[in-house]
Amino acid sequence: MAVRSRVLVAVLAAAGIVLAACSGGPAGQSGSGPSDSATFALPPNATPNWILPIGIPGHLSGINTAVNRLMWPPLYTYAGDDGSLAFDEKASVANKPVFSDGGKTVTITLKDYTWSTGAKVTARDVEFHFNLIKANKTKWGNYSKGRLPDNVVSFMIVDDKTFTLTLDKVYNTDWFAENQLTQTLRPLPQAAWDKTSADGPVGDFDRDPATAVQVFDFLVERSKQIAEYDKDPLWQVVSGPFRVTEYSPQGQVTLTRNDKYTGPDKATLTTVSLKPFTSADAEYNVLRTGQLDYGYIASSNLGQTSALEQQGYTVEPWQGWAITYIPYNFNNPKVGPIFAQLYVRQAIQHAIDQPSIAKNIWRGSAAPGYGPVPQDEKSPFISDAQKANPYPFDIAKAKALITGHGWTIGADGVATCTSPGAAENQCGAGIAAGTPLRFELLAESGSKETDNTMSELKSSLSQIGVAIDLKQAPLNTVLGNSKPCTPEQAECSWQLSFFGTQGSWYFPAYPSGDRIFTTGATSNLGSYSDPKADELITRSTQSDDSAAMREYGEYLTRNLPVIWLPNPAYQISATKTSLQGVEQDPLVGMSPQRWSRK
Amino acid sequence: MTAPARSSADERLLAFRRNKLALVGAALLVLLVAFCFLGPLVYVTDQVHTVLEAARLLPGEQGHPLGTDDLGYDVLGRLMAAGQTSLVIGLAAGALATVIGTAWGAVAGFYGGWLDAVMMRVVDAGIAIPGLFLLVVAATLVTPSVPVLILVIGLVSWLVPARLMRAESLALRSRAYVEAMRLAGGTGLGAIRRHIVPNAIGTVIVNATFQVADAILLVTYVSFLGLGIPPPAANWGGMLSGGLAYSYDGYWWLIFPPGLLIVLTVCAFTFIGDGLRDAFDVRFRERA
Repeated sequence: MAVRSRVLVAVLAAAGIVLAACSGGPAGQSGSGPSDSATFALPPNATPNWILPIGIPGHLSGINTAVNRLMWPPLYTYAGDDGSLAFDEKASVANKPVFSDGGKTVTITLKDYTWSTGAKVTARDVEFHFNLIKANKTKWGNYSKGRLPDNVVSFMIVDDKTFTLTLDKVYNTDWFAENQLTQTLRPLPQAAWDKTSADGPVGDFDRDPATAVQVFDFLVERSKQIAEYDKDPLWQVVSGPFRVTEYSPQGQVTLTRNDKYTGPDKATLTTVSLKPFTSADAEYNVLRTGQLDYGYIASSNLGQTSALEQQGYTVEPWQGWAITYIPYNFNNPKVGPIFAQLYVRQAIQHAIDQPSIAKNIWRGSAAPGYGPVPQDEKSPFISDAQKANPYPFDIAKAKALITGHGWTIGADGVATCTSPGAAENQCGAGIAAGTPLRFELLAESGSKETDNTMSELKSSLSQIGVAIDLKQAPLNTVLGNSKPCTPEQAECSWQLSFFGTQGSWYFPAYPSGDRIFTTGATSNLGSYSDPKADELITRSTQSDDSAAMREYGEYLTRNLPVIWLPNPAYQISATKTSLQGVEQDPLVGMSPQRWSRK
Repeated sequence: MTAPARSSADERLLAFRRNKLALVGAALLVLLVAFCFLGPLVYVTDQVHTVLEAARLLPGEQGHPLGTDDLGYDVLGRLMAAGQTSLVIGLAAGALATVIGTAWGAVAGFYGGWLDAVMMRVVDAGIAIPGLFLLVVAATLVTPSVPVLILVIGLVSWLVPARLMRAESLALRSRAYVEAMRLAGGTGLGAIRRHIVPNAIGTVIVNATFQVADAILLVTYVSFLGLGIPPPAANWGGMLSGGLAYSYDGYWWLIFPPGLLIVLTVCAFTFIGDGLRDAFDVRFRERA
């Protein structure tokens, strides 16, 4: 670099910074495009990357589901648009399920919907979905042993619009309706998708488990071709209010109104564009220019609320029905035995100052969370233990737990095991002498609040002898690297991971933990396994006794399957006042079909 | 009585001193080094542990002359700690790039022929790939640390000095004293060590100062992109990046101080490089 240019670069960089810092006023034009379209900002680094409504590991990001539900709506939708979680009649493809035979038989009747090809949506389309997940459950990312399809003994078509499910046992009806049917089953276009190759014939391949595998593989293969989504005829057969007309590998998605939609939830706007961003700062800069109709701000920019309001935005937090946590990888061969020690998990939890993180880093837009159900004090599901927080911030107590179990904090501030063994005052089974309390934490990038939360964790844990080696990556990378695994697998090298800038886990209406904390569940990323927890989770999903959920919640609050962290708002939304019909569903479903222009 | 003849070193020093900007650069560098390395001895702060209750204090509040950042770190103390990282990486990476580039260019130029062709095509290929891109890739593969950044920046920055040194080596290899050494049975590597590199040392030193300035800027870029050294370590680029999140809120103390120090440091090394070029280049000395 030449001398002058080097000085110039440095000076220009500084000047740019000065200008950026000084530009406090409203920045530019309002209006973001044609009046029958809207632009929506995607979360930082959380780009849609999967169109098939059956996710596979590494493609389970919630934004994928939010998008594909607009094209292939599920049987049932629950939403909290009016402030409480309730059945969303308008967005549901079927009438409410009818339980009979003591709860073992469920009868479902579809409403009058048609595919964009003009064909009727029938029970056969639901059976197609059911057969695919049944024959490919090991490949299906959301499979959890014992849940649907395992808990359905038979799927019987009664007529074009009606089918029955015979269950293996009686389940909690709320759980089955709100978590199983809502989350899992939906009509998929059997007449277009039931084939094993692009040029092959359409048949009843899904009814034979062997060929159902081939159909699934074909659909998965096509779903990997992100750049082809808008051109692939497969994905143009939809029953929802939108179809995809742009879907780039970088995450830019344009949804266009499905003019052949026949349901009651027809879209008003012609197009909705979903814009990807690599960071909240980048998104905010675009928001300030008025080019987004529905964006968000980082909590660091909450001071700019009045400026945004002057620009024609309404700023409002979007609270999610969620919990936020860092999973321990209990199967990591190196640190798994350390994570298996409850006293270590207790010490780590005691070292986390959740109220302070929520107040100072998230500037009040996050709320401390102490257990496995959303920390809503009025919720019938929350236990007294979770309300009270059994592990309040206490560095001295945390340190005592570590040093009282055979660990000695060295000159470098890192504790090492000096008393190996399984006795009460020793490090614990499987921990060798000299093992350091040093963990690698992979955290999602793109958020200042997450960066600061991770810095705070590293700082406070260093005070109790726990060293954290921090690494950051985009959300999809973090999710792709944080899979359940067995110790001998190479991908089991991850130790701790954080993917909760917008909350780690969003529950369906019934906040059971069967998908995240049951032994062997696909989203039990850290392979947490505890027989008592399994028993309580099972009870919470099978019994109609509301105390079952609280008992489960209390046990996991105390047993710490993960590191509980403050739960951030899904986002702090900034919505153009000219965009009507925007409601912020705690289940974080998107309903752009209900948006309109004033 | 005639004035005693000035030595070559004296002449160089004189030429350097005649360049006012070079003197300003040297003074700036001394001040910056003192600020970063001696400052923490006088102004002691905790730059390891966060204090969330003291986040975003205004300058002067609660005994923090430049306020605090969003994790409660004292900004003045953090500027010192961050400067140590930036300067250490800049100096070490600049030195590493200079050593590699000098050795590479000297060998290529001295031996010539196919070896030169191969070695210089490697350089051409390397220059075609933006250094920042390689840094970003490296930062995603390994957790950035001071040694890692030194190594990576050094390994992507040696190409320009290699070209410069090759040109010097090509010119020097046909000098009589080099020919004489070879005729006397001296080895090529011996000639490079004893004659080629020592006689090109002026070019090497001048370039080294620019390498340091470039390395500091690269650290800044990488940190600004969020791929710098993880906390609690700090560097000026990372501080700048962190402060920009609050640019709309008017938290100037999180933005201007690190930005200013980056500019001053780069300017200091650049001015010193200019002065050294005057000092080592005969044409400039004569003109002076």
